[in-house]
Amino acid sequence: MEVFYFVPEVLFYILSGLILLSSVMVVSARNPVTSAIFLVLDLFFVAALYAKLDAHFTAAIQVLVYAGAIVVLFVFVIMLLNLKPEALRGVRFSVGEAAVLLITLVGFAIIGSELARTAPEAVIPGNLGAGAIELAGGNTFVVAMRMFTSYLWPFEMASILILLAIVACVMVAKKDKVLGAAHHFRGGSPE
Amino acid sequence: MGTNFGIDLTSLLQWNQFTVDLVSFVVKFAILAGGLLQIPPVMVWVERRVPALMQRRRGPNRVGLFKWRLYGLLQSLADTIKLIFKEEVVPDGAHKVFYHLAPVFCVFPAFLIACAIPYGPDLNIFGYTIPLSVVRVDVGFLFIFAISSLAVYGVSLAGWASNNKYSLMGSLRASAQMISYEIPLGMSLLPIVLIYGTLDLGKIVEAQSSFFKWGAFTAPFSLLIFVICMFAETNRAPFDLAEGESELVAGFHTEYNSAKFAAFFLGEYVSMFVLSALASTVFFGGWQVPFVPYESLVAMLGSPNIAAIVGVLMLLLKSMFFMWLYIWVRWTLPRFRYDQLMSLGWKFMLPIGLANVVGTAVVLAVLRFK
Repeated sequence: MEVFYFVPEVLFYILSGLILLSSVMVVSARNPVTSAIFLVLDLFFVAALYAKLDAHFTAAIQVLVYAGAIVVLFVFVIMLLNLKPEALRGVRFSVGEAAVLLITLVGFAIIGSELARTAPEAVIPGNLGAGAIELAGGNTFVVAMRMFTSYLWPFEMASILILLAIVACVMVAKKDKVLGAAHHFRGGSPE
Repeated sequence: MGTNFGIDLTSLLQWNQFTVDLVSFVVKFAILAGGLLQIPPVMVWVERRVPALMQRRRGPNRVGLFKWRLYGLLQSLADTIKLIFKEEVVPDGAHKVFYHLAPVFCVFPAFLIACAIPYGPDLNIFGYTIPLSVVRVDVGFLFIFAISSLAVYGVSLAGWASNNKYSLMGSLRASAQMISYEIPLGMSLLPIVLIYGTLDLGKIVEAQSSFFKWGAFTAPFSLLIFVICMFAETNRAPFDLAEGESELVAGFHTEYNSAKFAAFFLGEYVSMFVLSALASTVFFGGWQVPFVPYESLVAMLGSPNIAAIVGVLMLLLKSMFFMWLYIWVRWTLPRFRYDQLMSLGWKFMLPIGLANVVGTAVVLAVLRFK
């Protein structure tokens, strides 16, 4: 169907625009809750971009982990701290900051144009179409096969790293209690 | 591409798989959305009549049409009209944007999940195969959990934006509860994924072709955990502490009225239905008719389309059982205390869920090893 060949391309630009827009809103909004909600939208649109690339597994995990779990904690903390918008400084640039921003933008433009120029050669057209993945056993199967065969070692190392972080968190959270108990044991009063 | 961006309207009018998919998507979504909108009025009616039945009262039975009383069924219609036409009052200190957006955040995930549930076997119209779910996602389970994890934002934003301490307390309770019970809910479905070897809901239903292959028999502990978490996830009794009237007035929607209050109702009842349909799909064979495999059903009825309609009715029947269960439990068990709820979730449901996953994996490994 020749008519709809341009649809994915247009969709890509719409999604990219929305991602950029919400990213800018995340850093420029005065109210921290607004920032958090735009962060959710940002992550959601990135997931939509993954889904457009037929990477359904990655898209679902993106929403599940980032939008559904991590930003929820951000929102919780912001709500509990109850920050007032006026407590935060608005966006005001000094000359130096503006210069840095300008240089960064120019740098991005140069790198971006270079990437855009070389991209068609750089990307190896592998067998990554929806049909090929479906034949190979589906998205989840392909990811799982790679993860538990070729990349098992780094995968397990990452899980041990996360486990360490969890144990450390529990220790940090328990610190006060432990110190308090020690005080009490020595006859001092826990404050 | 030409100057008109290659749009050739005449080719849109020719039927091929793409246009059939497009048109059937729109039609299916319209039917689904229309159907889901009918759930709250009917459920409100059921929720008044069923406790009346249990407590030997009459319940609302007056509002009818002319001389027909219709068992008070039109009471819900009257209520809906009242809710829509009531004056909107927005509290002074509310955050205007999020106050208005919160009901949308509540309704949107429920409708999106409803799109992924397979409501019946494939239709076959003029040689084109039309699957009876609005979107067929090959990572169905993950999609459902991903979207349902977004429902927390509606609740927490509603409480925060209302600028009311009862709302905020209610929303904190509700969202903590939803986050906590999402984990055992996911754990309870992992054995199903292990047993049937797929994340695709449609394939799971097809795998449950005979009665004793139903998830309820292959993974009974999962069913137990799922049903308990289902109540907590939708903030329904006995886990409805989010709106403990005696402590929190009405919880996160204290400051809401008129149509936006109705939107919260809609979100709650639609997510109840979605979880009921999911439970039926995963544990009770979905659209499969008990003891009648799909092939013999088609042979008996003579057409796959009639079989599809029977399948849809079957799924609705099974979901209705769970909707009934919601109300049954609500009028049977008293409300939990908040610390009881949390310790049940983290210290009881989560370890049992983990043990269930490990146990199922071990049993499957042993069976495969033989």
